[in-house]
Amino acid sequence: MSDSQAVRFPRALPAVGTLALAGSLPRILTMLVMAAVLVLSAWLFRAYDGATPLPAVNLPWIESLGVNLHLAVDGLNVYLLLLTALLFPVVLACAWRSAEARSGLYLSLLLLLEAGLLGTFLSQNLMLFFVFWEAVLIPMFILILVFGGGEARRAATAFFLYTLAGSVLLLAAVILLGVESWRQTGSWSFEFALLSRLHLGWGTELFVFAAVVLACAIKCPLFPFHSWLPLAYGEAPASGTALMAGALSKMGAFGLMKLALPLCPNVSVVLAPYLVLWAVGSILYGAVAALRQDDFRKLVAYSSLSHMGYIVLGLFSLQEAALHGALLQMLSHGVAVAGLFLVLGLLEERLGGSSRELTALATHGPRLAVVLMLFILTSVALPLTSGFTSEFLILFGAFQKALAAWRAGSGALALVAVLLATSGMVLGAGYLLRFARAILFGPARSGSRVRDLKPREALAFVPLLLLIVWIGVFPAPFMAKAQSAVTQLTQVSPLFVKGGPGGISVPQPESNPPKSPFVKGGLSSGNGGADGR
Amino acid sequence: MAADLFHALLPEQLLLGLILLLMLLEICGADRRFAGLLFTLAAGAGCGVLLLQLGQGYTADVVPGEIRVDRFALLARLVILGCGVILGLCSPAASDTVKSRLLLASSLLGGLVIMVSAGFIPLFMGIEMLSLPAFALMVHGRGLSPAGEGAFKYLLMSSVASALILFGLSLAYGSTGSLAIGAFAAALPAGGPPLLVAGLLLLSGFFLKAALFPFHGWAPDAYGSARLPVTAFLASVVKGAVVLGLVRILSAASLDAETVAAVTVLSVASIFYGNVTAIRQVAFRRLLAYSSIAHAGYMMFALTDGSGGRTEALLYYVAVYAVTTIVACTCFRLLAGEGDELALLEGAFAARPVPALLLGLSALSLAGIPPLPGFLAKFFIFRAVIASGHLAPAVLAFAGSYVGVVYYLGIVLRLFRPSALPSKAKTASSPCRSWGGVLLGTAVLLLFMLVPGVFNGLA
Repeated sequence: MSDSQAVRFPRALPAVGTLALAGSLPRILTMLVMAAVLVLSAWLFRAYDGATPLPAVNLPWIESLGVNLHLAVDGLNVYLLLLTALLFPVVLACAWRSAEARSGLYLSLLLLLEAGLLGTFLSQNLMLFFVFWEAVLIPMFILILVFGGGEARRAATAFFLYTLAGSVLLLAAVILLGVESWRQTGSWSFEFALLSRLHLGWGTELFVFAAVVLACAIKCPLFPFHSWLPLAYGEAPASGTALMAGALSKMGAFGLMKLALPLCPNVSVVLAPYLVLWAVGSILYGAVAALRQDDFRKLVAYSSLSHMGYIVLGLFSLQEAALHGALLQMLSHGVAVAGLFLVLGLLEERLGGSSRELTALATHGPRLAVVLMLFILTSVALPLTSGFTSEFLILFGAFQKALAAWRAGSGALALVAVLLATSGMVLGAGYLLRFARAILFGPARSGSRVRDLKPREALAFVPLLLLIVWIGVFPAPFMAKAQSAVTQLTQVSPLFVKGGPGGISVPQPESNPPKSPFVKGGLSSGNGGADGR
Repeated sequence: MAADLFHALLPEQLLLGLILLLMLLEICGADRRFAGLLFTLAAGAGCGVLLLQLGQGYTADVVPGEIRVDRFALLARLVILGCGVILGLCSPAASDTVKSRLLLASSLLGGLVIMVSAGFIPLFMGIEMLSLPAFALMVHGRGLSPAGEGAFKYLLMSSVASALILFGLSLAYGSTGSLAIGAFAAALPAGGPPLLVAGLLLLSGFFLKAALFPFHGWAPDAYGSARLPVTAFLASVVKGAVVLGLVRILSAASLDAETVAAVTVLSVASIFYGNVTAIRQVAFRRLLAYSSIAHAGYMMFALTDGSGGRTEALLYYVAVYAVTTIVACTCFRLLAGEGDELALLEGAFAARPVPALLLGLSALSLAGIPPLPGFLAKFFIFRAVIASGHLAPAVLAFAGSYVGVVYYLGIVLRLFRPSALPSKAKTASSPCRSWGGVLLGTAVLLLFMLVPGVFNGLA
């Protein structure tokens, strides 16, 4: 029972904290709540070993329709639980002295956002997932609107309406899945475990897949659906941008992984090559657009677009190493991009509007410069940082898959796409290092002074940097936790080898898929996690 | 029999007693605060009785073929009477005369009669008793103002609706030989031209009363010209009673394919028309009118259901929509006083956070943003519709409701926008009674959100 309490707390505590804001020290209270969530999440992360699921919370909400408040930790959300729990206290610590942190509204919005995000990631019930997925929009909308820059109104509206547009079809798909469960089992249910065992018709599956991909492509975002991104990332307060890029964008990738792959396995397998091409397009578009930016925030925003493309590439390579890479990239990109936006936010707070002309930070504020450089390096995917581990795994896996497809005679397009994706890394190095050169070095202007990192802020960045290095040097303990979930996801592919509809033939996956080079023992290809369809 | 008559119709008796007492008070010229207290007590006691009867699982065939109290009657009366209590608490002291209480009580009585009727005669009487005091309420105390025009339009359209309903009833009587609702509902699937026409005429009458596109012409003027509490009353109790009255007739019976097609087209058109037109509105009451046209679309959409989930879905929808509208109207009045322009809301959150927050949440709930109860209400409707196999119209309706988010978001935007100007939100006099109403409404909505199966739990 104590275990089930522990799963419930990360969700319940932010809500309790929201109520407690009337107190005299709202900031400290908020921080305490966030720290408690972090401790509990870290404990859950440690306790989760990848095989035995931890006891879950499962309370009925709409009993007659099988909508339950079902929250549990599994291999897919265990990283994101850690990421979300980690980002919020860091963000609050960075904004500690700012004007907005004194406002009760800001603090309650942060807590609501944390509750919504954790709910999205932990929920094991499709309807509940949808409710949290949408509910996250409200606090973020108000956060941008009230604490954003001059164009905040336009940015907030664009953010809200764009992301909501994706949900129109998603809700229809969610209800349709419920109806399918009602037709096939005789009772309504939205539990993921049950829905993934349903036998959907080709048309239904295609509809659900399209709805999920559209919703997630807007949330991530992927290339043609990104137009809200520069506006929202540019206008939101620094803390809001950090959370949006660090945690909210992961909801999109998580949705693809949690909904599209297990619920529509047949369509996923058939359409995966096209999604890979799409992701590569997004990677390249983001990189090229980032090359053209002068504004640092916009540059990081587009680089985020490019990096999210890698996650989608990894997911739809449907290959074990690539999936591991995608999962790690969620964590790594979340930490790195949030760190970048937070450092930029600190610079804006110190310098106001003149932060755009900042040069020679390395001379004025060496500690700030070191932190910024570390975040840049992990975004560039320098070896021994988490960025390298994850992007290498993604490209490695995608390349294996593409090579297999080429050998099987389905054309070299996939191979070309993966090679192009690799060039995205080179472009990434180009724009990010240019950015680093411009801001860190260069002629020191006389009279320009930047206060260096204060101990409080330095302390806030330490966990992020530790995580980056840890994943970069020794990712095996992380990957072990996700292993069974990844195996289960890759199992979806053999399901449809017998021949796709409309004569689309699906290449036979390799009988012995190559293992990630990072993993030593303990990660056998055993099918312990395979579902017994 | 007599005991049954008394016990089963206790809420109606209470309202009747209240009406008589209020008449006496009006003659004696008593204090109007006393009238408000009486109203709240009587309506609250009625709700208590209904809850008690629900707990016992009480059913009674009071007058065979004419009046029957069953589970639906209990729940629907609870919804109507509950809205009456909240509305009574919310109405402002300034416009709150004994006469307005009297009219409100009579209208509520009409609503209750609709819900207990098992024959078409009491049903028709109930509809008229519901609407006639509403016209009077609209012009009451307004002198020469546009309110007269709005009320007159409403009166005219409402009589057309009554005529349509009567004509439909006579056709139904002609083909079934009975005026019992059950006989009509049982004969409906068999079809035949007279019954089909009767059904269509009945539906058109109800659509007119509920302001579904393209029968909506009276709504913007009527809603826009009345005082805000009366607008809230029209949008919540009157509309809710009409929709639930339709459910009383059709219960869970599935309609024939042609009617389903017509209802689908009309409801989707209504959702789009209401939501698109509402975007351009700058006055709160007109915005509410167009939003209520869209909501009529969602409610009527449930009629296309053939899986038997219609009754529960509509009870929940009507309850949530009515209470949310009342809370939104009261909060708007607390923020903007007697004004009607949306611009009055600019920066209201900074000036008066609690009503602004509640208004914002109500707007988002009406827009159907999870996890607010308005979303759950839509979810129940769409669940029933999609389970009946109407996926494409449901997706269209989703798109229509997405369009609607724009103007609800506009309200939230105005509330939270940090404005350079000093807030225009007036500190209107807010009697603590209004707060009582708002808090009660919010508590009810919270209950709906946390326990969506509340109606199942009651029975």
